[in-house]
Amino acid sequence: MGLQELLSTYGDMYVQALLVTWRMTAIAFAGAMLLALLVTVARVSPIKPLRKLGDLYVQIFRNIPGVSLLIICVYALPHLKVVLDYGVCVILTTTLVASAFGSENFMSGINTIGVGQVEAARSLGLSFGQILRQVVIPQALRSAVLPMTNLLIAVMLTTALGSQVPLDPPELTGLVSYINTRSVGGILAFFISAIGYAGTAFAIGIVGNQIDKRVRILR
Amino acid sequence: MSNEAQGMRPIIELSHVEKHFGKLHVLKDINLSVQKGEVVVLIGPSGSGKSTLCRTINRLETIDSGSIRIDGELLPEEGKELAKLRSEVGMVFQSFNLFAHKTILQNVTMGPIEVLHTPKAQAEAEAMELLRRVGVAEQANKVPAQLSGGQQQRVAIARSLAMHPKAMLFDEPTSALDPEMINEVLDVMVELAQEGMTMVVVTHEMRFARSVANRVVFMADGTIIEQGDPDEFFDNPQSNRAKEFLNSIKGH
Repeated sequence: MGLQELLSTYGDMYVQALLVTWRMTAIAFAGAMLLALLVTVARVSPIKPLRKLGDLYVQIFRNIPGVSLLIICVYALPHLKVVLDYGVCVILTTTLVASAFGSENFMSGINTIGVGQVEAARSLGLSFGQILRQVVIPQALRSAVLPMTNLLIAVMLTTALGSQVPLDPPELTGLVSYINTRSVGGILAFFISAIGYAGTAFAIGIVGNQIDKRVRILR
Repeated sequence: MSNEAQGMRPIIELSHVEKHFGKLHVLKDINLSVQKGEVVVLIGPSGSGKSTLCRTINRLETIDSGSIRIDGELLPEEGKELAKLRSEVGMVFQSFNLFAHKTILQNVTMGPIEVLHTPKAQAEAEAMELLRRVGVAEQANKVPAQLSGGQQQRVAIARSLAMHPKAMLFDEPTSALDPEMINEVLDVMVELAQEGMTMVVVTHEMRFARSVANRVVFMADGTIIEQGDPDEFFDNPQSNRAKEFLNSIKGH
């Protein structure tokens, strides 16, 4: 099957698959950022059990392969009477893994803030919550832009987990399996999907760099 | 001063304060009271506990036993009460510790807006006035990294003053500065002292101590070895430790 035939037969499906990949990436990344922020706040809180819980969360979801989590979500959760849609399982899995890495990015952002600034805020009479909102989180966010850009790309690639479950319509990698079970797309079918991933990643990288330049903190 | 003696009351009062860092006994039975309007300079070799002592006064360091009172009130251990008391005691650090992501103006207005709930416009007007006073009003819209060390430290002083503190703590405020910038910071501090601010200053600046301190407190090995009038202390120290220390910093 040549490129032209592939595109004329499956072109619309590729576009649709790209949109599915983008949508899952956007949802998973947004969820991951929110979770990562909450977990990070727990990890720097003055309450020790909460800190330990946050650390444990990161250890668990950073160290379990995405596929295993997906299998748990698809096959194990129904035993607990939790039946989630395949697409939801993929997004959930990606979100959990990415939130663990995201929290690590925030933590290293926080570590760049001198303890002195926190002490200065404390000596002005700010509460723990105010110090987080005014001093710690804004700086951690800004210095996390580049690592989070990387994470966003990783999230997009992780949504390829969607190829392991029946999705309708499929995402980019799932579409390749779909095509290759029906006709002989071969390596070319993969290649077109790869262009979708690489092009998106390239654009994400450029935007990430621009944002970083704009918000970077002078030191 | 003597006319005010009857109205005098301690703004800061430490009694029998003890503190350990692990096995190291860093503060040993510290008793110190600072009167309203008084300028006390803490001096001593490094590791003597003077910075730690300064930091216990707004509880950036906890203490093992003893008591600390600010304006008669026992220093609370945590929570809202502690935050409120901290807001009444200004602190200036060796390394300035300005908020790196905020402009100079925002650095000064943050405390009043967040803690005192001052309306933004009023906080900004007050902040500009303070920045003018310390001579950095032109830099109001820059970020800290664009300022020299001396300018940053003056901003830090303005940031503390914006809270209308009852007393100010200075923890080696000029030690991180290039020599040519030390005086611009000391000048601001001298002015503050002359206006009657209650100050506790950890410093090695002898000239500053002589010209504005009401009292010099000499510490070594976690204890207050001697204290007294600055001229008397520098010209005629009583203890051997103080003599040794003064000799070691003289002579260049």
